[in-house]
Parts: sequence; structure tokens; C-alpha cells
Amino acid sequence: MDFYIQVLISGLLLGGIYALISIGLNLIFGVVRILNFAHGELVMLAMYGTFWLYKLYDLDPYLSLVVVLPAMFLFGVVLQRFILQPVLTTSGVMKMFTTVGISILMQNLALILWKGDFRAVQTFYSMSTIKFSGLIISIPRLVAFGAALLSIILLYLFLKYTYVGKALRAIVEDHATARLMGITVERHYLLAFGLGALFSALGGTLMMPFSSVYPTIGGPFTALAFVIVVLGGLGSMGGTFLAGLFIGVIEAFAGTFVSPGLKEAIYFVIFLLVLMVRPQGLFGMGRGTEEIGLK
Amino acid sequence: MKKYTLWIAGGLGALLLLLVPLYFKSTFVLHIYTLTFFYIGLTAAWNIMAYGGNLSLGHASFFAIGAYVGALLYVKLGISPWIGLTGAVAASFVGGMILSMPLIRLRGPFFTLATIAFTEVLRLIAIDWRDLTHGSAGLNIPFDLGWLNLTFKSGAPFYYIALALAVGSVWLSRWVRYSALGYHLRAAASDDQAAEALGVDFNLVQITALLISATLTAVLGLFYAFYSYVLEPATLFSFELFSLQPALNAIIGGMGTVWGPVIGAVFMTPLGEFLRFYLGTIQQGLNYVVYGIILIMTVRFFPGGILSLLTPLGVRFKRWIGDTGDNQ
Amino acid sequence: MALLTVKNLTKKFGGLVAVHDMTFDIEPGEIVGLIGPNGAGKTTLFNLISGIVHADQGSLMLAGKSLIGMRPCHRSRAGIGRTFQVVRPFDMNVLENVMVPALTRTRDTSKARKAAMEVLEMMGLAEFATRSPGNLTLAQRKRIEVARALATQPKLLLLDEVLAGLNPTEVAENLPLIRQLRDTGVTILFIEHLMDAMMAVAERVLVMDQGALICCGTPREVTSDECVIKAYLGEEDPQC
Repeated sequence: MDFYIQVLISGLLLGGIYALISIGLNLIFGVVRILNFAHGELVMLAMYGTFWLYKLYDLDPYLSLVVVLPAMFLFGVVLQRFILQPVLTTSGVMKMFTTVGISILMQNLALILWKGDFRAVQTFYSMSTIKFSGLIISIPRLVAFGAALLSIILLYLFLKYTYVGKALRAIVEDHATARLMGITVERHYLLAFGLGALFSALGGTLMMPFSSVYPTIGGPFTALAFVIVVLGGLGSMGGTFLAGLFIGVIEAFAGTFVSPGLKEAIYFVIFLLVLMVRPQGLFGMGRGTEEIGLK
Repeated sequence: MKKYTLWIAGGLGALLLLLVPLYFKSTFVLHIYTLTFFYIGLTAAWNIMAYGGNLSLGHASFFAIGAYVGALLYVKLGISPWIGLTGAVAASFVGGMILSMPLIRLRGPFFTLATIAFTEVLRLIAIDWRDLTHGSAGLNIPFDLGWLNLTFKSGAPFYYIALALAVGSVWLSRWVRYSALGYHLRAAASDDQAAEALGVDFNLVQITALLISATLTAVLGLFYAFYSYVLEPATLFSFELFSLQPALNAIIGGMGTVWGPVIGAVFMTPLGEFLRFYLGTIQQGLNYVVYGIILIMTVRFFPGGILSLLTPLGVRFKRWIGDTGDNQ
Repeated sequence: MALLTVKNLTKKFGGLVAVHDMTFDIEPGEIVGLIGPNGAGKTTLFNLISGIVHADQGSLMLAGKSLIGMRPCHRSRAGIGRTFQVVRPFDMNVLENVMVPALTRTRDTSKARKAAMEVLEMMGLAEFATRSPGNLTLAQRKRIEVARALATQPKLLLLDEVLAGLNPTEVAENLPLIRQLRDTGVTILFIEHLMDAMMAVAERVLVMDQGALICCGTPREVTSDECVIKAYLGEEDPQC
């Protein structure tokens, strides 16, 4: 029994990070209406940022957030402003193809600049755990989960109570009307993309104490984030959080009980089933789904 | 006047292509030509779905289905690939039927995502099913010369096979484009609701296009398997090689037209091989950097592809050969 | 037998009853007008008949055959043609736009091209066959919309404000078309806001208000009906 609880807990902790990364994707999709194929590459870039700050300047991964988060926010803004903004009027698929291009570009630039090696950060707390009635919980994973939860709550409060947050939600709901109400839609796109990048970066950095980074690490994260966003429902932040936890738990159990090779196949099957049976997601309101082509 | 000029030009071009293997003895040159023909076929097949506005990033699945079914029937049961073709077509038909479930529910980028997920599931199954596919290590087709085994001493026979496949695929894609199906696909891509109200069965035309595209891709995959001898999931299910590349070729050449995919494949395949051999050896990954940039730039600066840049020239050319365009 | 039989047709969108318990018949060869204030449910009624939205209750029959549960494409093939209020030409030239529906009647493209050309000639659009609809005037694009619906060889043609947004000259040009269409054997149900046009062409007028059919009769009868006047001008007396 303890074993199952152990697996469950490690799944939940992992799921928190997945939720964080996916919320970034959902925010970008909800506001800018772009399916960001390069999302995992944003995570990858943040992980490398953390790694190099540690390697070159001996900066602790958690402290490196001070540099990595603003840098990645800016990176997101620049991507949106100079690469995606000009193609906003093309069809959804063409926009996605642009992000596919960004993804290939970033992945291979990382390969050229930093080689294919696995890079990891070794801190004194990397392997530390707390033991609790027979359960072993990794401290950095627990920290990551806590930080993920906290930042998701902050994002929720930001969207709910601030003026800018309300403007973002208005855009999610209806672009044209938001524009008519005097919201500078394009400027909010920049913000949304920046925030999306920031959340993925946070997820990436928080993972560095217990995992390693390599150029192609982004692909699986992109896939995961898409599965979670679709499962949780487009435009639904709470749904994304729950779906993130769910997928984390599925991954933990599948990794233990099913052939590890088929672990990923399970996500994709879930993804296809959700798209076919309930395209608005398990918790989604179906908002904006008409526009991007879900029937 | 116009017809003769074009037919003579086309005939001369075809004759030249037939003579290539006699002149070039270099296997590398023949390989580039053969590969280009395969990609012309693959891109034309991909493009049949694009007529209906559905852009797949999962054609590697059908390519691999064709390759595996044909090769496994041959390797495990000794069935000639020529007969195995029917198996490849049948299997890809079933695969296409499965993918048609998301096709009729999803639009635009979400369908594209579904094609990726579909391919990933098949790829992971292929890696995991070691008894059948030998997993990641892959499977070799034994070298046993003969037409029936699709195994040849020189590269020339496969050059001709690939050329025939390319011509056949383009012919099929052209036939679809100008058939009732093609008009209905274009209408469905343009406005699905209006098309339905005018009697176009949206689901039926989209599924038909998907099945034609899928089975054609599987046929190409089967011949490619025998051309390359080696079947490994990492290659056959490769996102870059067989899912993204046809899409990229079509976008760069001119998506949804008959000749755009041909232009795209003729332009991109040699370029890709060049980049892989020269840049790839200088620095691993550099060729894909160039690809990424080309993709971003194409969508941004000429979303109609090379063909849209050539059209003004085409108009001038038509005027020059005395075609005023009113005999259509 | 009536060409179209509508019985107790009802459609709700959430709490809003867009079409409420409508019952009427249309006889073969009639020209029937459909009027009503904005938001009365006229376009929803068209969407229900053409199958773009499905009814919650009631029955719909074309020449005695039920249409309930049929998809729009099958209704089109059964003989219902429609135009959209906002013109929606496909991204192809004018001739090809009309060939699309013609190709649902024949698989042969050369026959379809001929049939489409005939429709274009009838609609006075033949000279624009190879042009892109985007370069034509609104009046011409509305004619394309009608031409496309006609190319499905409909028994019943639903015209949704084909005259709206046109200038008086264009209205005068397009108006006789409706009669001309009927003379080719098509039954017509049309929505129009221009009263003059309605009066000139319609043989019978249905009036809708707030989702319900409130009046039905000849143009003269309808214009003198109190309920109609109230629906348009507001009520003085709450009883109607």
C-alpha cells in the first residue's frame, strides 16, 4: 500500500510542474490563439540558462530565477513581436507551422551551441529527502511543487482581480469585442506570450536540481503540455492544473507498471480520445473552440 | 500552339529523365534523383489532403505502415512485395479510417495535432513490438536479387520505379484536383458550412481525400523500404523526414496546387541532401537550422510558395507563346 | 400536396426561444415572403429548414418526406437550396463557385461547367466567369450566391435578404429575377426587409415576431393586419 502512495505522491509532485508548463501554453493559446509548438523549447532554454548560470557563476538554481525569469519573459515578448505578430492574420495551421520552425531552430541551435550532452546541476540538496511515515519525498521536487502551486494561484489572482488580468480574460473570451472595448489587443498578446514563456521557464528551472537538460528535451514537454491543455480544457486554468496532476500520476504509475516504452503512447491515446470524444476538455468551457476549429 | 509547345517541352523533359541513369554512373547522383522522385510522390500525396484544408504532420505513419507491412510480409512470410502492396494499401486504409475519426470532428491546427499524436502512438508501438519489428535496432531486408524481390544490383531500376511513382502520384493528385472531389474539397476548405448547404458532403470528401492520400503514401513507403533495405522506427516514423518534410515541400512550393508540391520537392530534396552532407558534417544540426529559417520565412514572406512567385512569370510566358488565356 | 410542410417547429438557444411552435405550408410554385423585425427568428428558420441547426421539436417535410435528422448536404440534394445573408463565396473564381454545387448533381466536370455557365448566363454573370468574386460588387456577389443555390437544382429556394445592401438601381435590376426564377419551376421562400420589393413580388407573406408566426396572408392583408403593425411599430394596446 505504501508503495502505491509513494508512486502517487511522486506523480502528483511531477504533475505540479507539468501543470505549470501547460498553463503557459494555455495562456498563449487562449489569448494569442496560437498553438505554440516551440513551448518545450522555451522550457529547454530556461533549463540551459539555469545550468550555465550555475556552471559559470556558481549561481544556485533557485537564485538563478531572478535572471532566468525576466530573460525568458523578454524572450517570449521578442518571439511574439518579431516572429509571430507578422503572421497573426494567416490561418491557424500556418501560425502553428511558424512555431514548428521556431522549435526546429531552437532545438538545433542548442545542439550546435551546447552539444548533445546531458547537463545537470549538482547542489547539496539535489538528493535530499524527507522521510514521513515510511514515505520518501524528494525536497527539490516538493519545493518545485509548492512553487508551482503558488505561482498558479498568483496567476489566478492576477487574472481575476487586476485590470490587466481582466483585459486578458476579455481577450480570451472574444477578441473582437475586447478590441471594441478599447483593449490594446496586440500589446496584451506580448504580455501573454511573455507570461507563457515565464511560466514554462519557471517549470524548467525548478526541475534543474533533479533532472538534466539536453537539446531535444523540449519535444516531450511540448507533447505533454498539449495533452494536458486539451484534457483540462482550452482556456481553463483550473482544468489545466487538475489535468497536469492527473497526467503526472498517470506517468508515475505507467512508468512503474507498464512497459516504459509505451508510457508516452498512453498520453497520446488519451489525447486522441479526448479530442474525439470531448474536444472541449474534461473541465473546459469550450471557449474559443469554435474559432480555432473544434466542432 | 500552346498545347504543342508544352507537350514538346514535357516530352523532352521526360526523355532526359529517362536517360539520366545511362549517363550518370555515380550512385550519389542517382540517389539524389531517386530520393527527389520519392519526395515528389510523398508531397503530392500529402497535398491531396491539403486541397481540403487539412494539413497533416503525421504522414510518416502511413509511410511506415506501407514500409513495414510490405517488408514484414516479405521477410517473415516470403511474400513478394508486389503482392504485399495490397496488404500495405489495406493496412493504410484501416489507419486512414482511424485517423478519419478526429478528422471529421476537428479543424485546423487541432487536426494537425491529432495526426502527430496518431503517428507517435504507432511509432511507440513499433519500437515496443520487438518480436515483429526488432525494436529500435531495426530489421534488414535480405539481399536476394530479382524483380520479384524488388532487389537490384544497380540503382537504375529503382530510379525508374521512383520516377514512375512520382509521375503516378502527380497524375493522381492532378486528377483529384480537377474532379468533382477536388472542387468539393476546395469548397470545404474555404467555407465548410456554405459547402454543406450547397450539397457537399463535408465528411465524405474529407475522408475520401484522407484515404487516397494515406494509401498512396503507404505505396511509396513500401517501395522506399525496399530501396533503403533497412527498416528502423527512428527513420520510418521520423517526424522531420516523412511528416514535416512533405508539408514543408508543399508549403515552399505552393500548397493546394498541382505543381507546387513538385516544385517544392525538386527544390528542397537536393538542397536538404546538400545541407546534410556539407553543413551536417561541419556541424551537426546546422542543416535543420536552415530548415527552420526557411519555414519561418516562407510562412511570413511568401505563404503562397514558390509557385506564387512564378505565376507572374507564367503569365508573361503564356503571353509570349501566344496564349491569351481565353481558351480555358 | 404541399412542397414544404412545417409543423410545430421549435428551436431554443439556451433560454432564448428563437423559433416557437411554427406551423405553415408552402405550395409548389409559390413565391412566399418572410418578414419580421430584427431578431424575429427568420434566419434561424432558414437554418432549421436547410439543416444548419437542428430543431428541438416539430416536423419538417419536403414533398412528404421528413427532413428531420438529415445533414445540410443531404437536404440540399433532396431539393433545398439556400443563400446566406452575408455572402460567402468560396476562394475560387465565379464559374468554379457555381460548379461546386453543380458537381453534386453530376460527377462529370464538363457537364457541370456547362450547367454552371447556363446558370451564370441566366443570372447575367457570364462575363465574370473567370473573375474572382472578391473583385465584384456586392450586388454581383449576391447574384453569385443565388447562382450557386440554383446550381443545386432546388425544388425550394430559400433567399436570405438578397436585396439588402444594394442601391435602388441594383434592387430594380435584381427584383425581376425572383419572378424569373419561379417561372423556371422553383418555389421560393424569401426574407426581405425592403417592403416595396416584398409587396411587388410576394404572392403570400408570412410574418414572424419573437420566434412565432403571427400572421399570414397576401401582401395587402398583411400590411393592414394589426398584429403586424404592432410588431413593427410597438404596442399601444397590450392585447393583440
